[in-house]
Amino acid sequence: MKVVDNNSRFLLDVDRRGVPGRDRMRTYRDEDEVDLLIVGCGAGGSVLAQRLARHGWRIVVLEAGPFWDPDTDWVSDEEGAHPIYWNANRIVGGEDPVELGKNNCGHGVGGSMVHFAGYTPRFHPSDFETLTRDGVGADWPIAYPELKPHYERVERELPVAGQHWPWGDPHGYPHGPHPIGGAAERAWEGARACGIEMRVGPVAITNGTFGNRPHCIYRGFCLQGCKVNAKASPLVTHVPDALEHGVEIRADSMAIRIETDGMDACTGVSYVRDGHERRQRASAVVVAGYSIESPRLLLNSDLGNGADQVGRYVMVQGAPQVAGRFPETLRMYKGPPPEVSSEQFYETDQTRGFARGFSVQTVSPLPIGWAEHVLADGHWGKALREYMRDYNHWSTLGALSELLPRAENRVSLADQCDSFGMPIARFDYSQCDNDRANIAYAKATLTRILEAAGAQDVLTIDRYAHLVGGCRMSATAEQGVIDSDHRVWGMSNLFVCDGSVMPTQGSANPALTIMVLASRLAERLAAKQVEAQPSAVAL
Amino acid sequence: MHGGGGDPDGLPRQRRGTTPQMHGRYPDFDVLEQSEHWDEPTRRAVLARLDPPSLRFFDATQARTLTAFCDTVLAQDRQPRVPVLQLVDAKLHEGRLDGFQYDDMPDDRETWRLVARGLDEAAAEHDAASYGDADPESRLAICEAFAEARLSGGVWVELPVAHAFAVVMRAVLAAFYSHPWAWNEIGFGGPAHPRGYMRLGIGQKEPWEGEEAFVIDPVADVRERGLDHPTEHRG
Repeated sequence: MKVVDNNSRFLLDVDRRGVPGRDRMRTYRDEDEVDLLIVGCGAGGSVLAQRLARHGWRIVVLEAGPFWDPDTDWVSDEEGAHPIYWNANRIVGGEDPVELGKNNCGHGVGGSMVHFAGYTPRFHPSDFETLTRDGVGADWPIAYPELKPHYERVERELPVAGQHWPWGDPHGYPHGPHPIGGAAERAWEGARACGIEMRVGPVAITNGTFGNRPHCIYRGFCLQGCKVNAKASPLVTHVPDALEHGVEIRADSMAIRIETDGMDACTGVSYVRDGHERRQRASAVVVAGYSIESPRLLLNSDLGNGADQVGRYVMVQGAPQVAGRFPETLRMYKGPPPEVSSEQFYETDQTRGFARGFSVQTVSPLPIGWAEHVLADGHWGKALREYMRDYNHWSTLGALSELLPRAENRVSLADQCDSFGMPIARFDYSQCDNDRANIAYAKATLTRILEAAGAQDVLTIDRYAHLVGGCRMSATAEQGVIDSDHRVWGMSNLFVCDGSVMPTQGSANPALTIMVLASRLAERLAAKQVEAQPSAVAL
Repeated sequence: MHGGGGDPDGLPRQRRGTTPQMHGRYPDFDVLEQSEHWDEPTRRAVLARLDPPSLRFFDATQARTLTAFCDTVLAQDRQPRVPVLQLVDAKLHEGRLDGFQYDDMPDDRETWRLVARGLDEAAAEHDAASYGDADPESRLAICEAFAEARLSGGVWVELPVAHAFAVVMRAVLAAFYSHPWAWNEIGFGGPAHPRGYMRLGIGQKEPWEGEEAFVIDPVADVRERGLDHPTEHRG
């Protein structure tokens, strides 16, 4: 019999969506030296807190944003979802600047998974050794087999729904495939006609009985926060169990500096809450603020940057979208945007003329997203209005192109400060030739699929999705920010556990793998497999 | 009708509810009739857009220019109009920004004010006192130059035109297509929470969703009528 190790789905209320137990949440004083202080309550921080709380660790999680109640705080509306994104200012530069905010940055308990579409593919075994296999990117100091049991475990906790998955390390899913809408049907027909395999899923959306989590109602607002509790985010998958086991989640608390003893140990974190600067003491600190805020906090604390690696190798995925026009109404706003996908082009194929690959996924923008699409294709005024009136006739496919890690794609501190007096982040991004070739090939493939489906016309936009890297995991202190146990090189009790640790990104949406890395780290910390002392001489 | 003309021939007039300019493809669909089926926070957020607060961020001169710009870039050439600038004004006044700023651009709020000045400067070249005073033909021509990053001189020496267009259009599109009148025009079913959607397949619709009464492939029609380059096709 399987031991139940996460009760979140039973702890939720069937009549309300908010997390029960907040009124009796355990609290700590700033002067209490907690066992672990985690900065950021997203995919990494929540899973780590939930796991270690079950081993008796006394934990506080600082979260810059609010503790959401989906019933009262969220709406089934694109524009009204604004508060769930990280809207504080950042400067974007480089040759190919990346839009942040609603595109890729969350705010509040649950992090970016609150607004992620729901796709939860695993990384492929090849992702962990692209340098050896393909001569590009980097090799991870860990490999797929170490993560496999955690993939299986987290897929059960979310739970993931989809058809049996034939790509990467082939595997099945705990919930079966969801029904798909007309727009996805059309796209799939086109793929079949081109000899391209697609499958339904994988999505972290309930498709059957799962504790007190309801079945999906196909309302289509996954990117605006799930008001149903059907789509997974840490708010429903790990936070309830974490609270039940004594974790304090201190929302509306912005970490500004990691404090140290002046040597190799940190002693706590200074943060601002209700306009007052405070300091929480802790025996160990985990930074889990994602690819922009984690490097920013380390840089502002002047920690971990002895090898000038903090903030480097930040990656985004090329996410071009191609929409096809069909004679019938397809009403792509219905159902979750993620419906069917393909990883047939994931690995390197020499004949394509570039290293690594891309995945193909349905995306289905809502009206504002679709209007941005139409504008990007060059239409405004009467032309814009006419394209928009035709909204219900389009089906939209997206690619996720694996763009390569580059040292100069970096988060740094800008000259201006935020309302807390902390320098804001600056993110510079430029593509390389391999990136451009990958995106161009992916767009041509999406177009081929839609044309084979009988699309009368197609429309294309270039965009980016997701963020990873910035505090990458490395085999030596010169090549990255953390070791294979997530410990910051040269520090004894400071860790990073979020998407920023990834040395490469594959063509997979990163949320599942961020949770899986946290699950692995928690197991090692709980079993005391992680040494108490730094594994390398301080830089 | 060809050469940058108005609606395509046969586009129906709205019979039920309101659409911007009272045309659309779903003449008997009014999404607001469904609002009793929406959850309360969603209903409150959507219905508030029908009656946005009066201007607090822009002054009267800027408002006149920018209202004319929003109406031109969205082809709102007659009543009823979605109050786009009021919705943008509320957002800027409340500091609801989008979480990033191009390194060659000022803050979005400053960008909007500079764009107002830049449009007035462009209008002066068309012998108009301001963009709002310019004739429809000139407004269209200036809009087209803005969209194609061809404005220059004055404000535009310091302000990158393409990025400025991207910043203002992001807010313009969000305001217009978050308005339920625009949902009526395009046949978007709207919030659907808590009841959800059931009929997902090709050609299907919920019983309460609108029947499409007019179909045209916009790609061919826009090309044929030259709507993407309206001023070149005038004659």
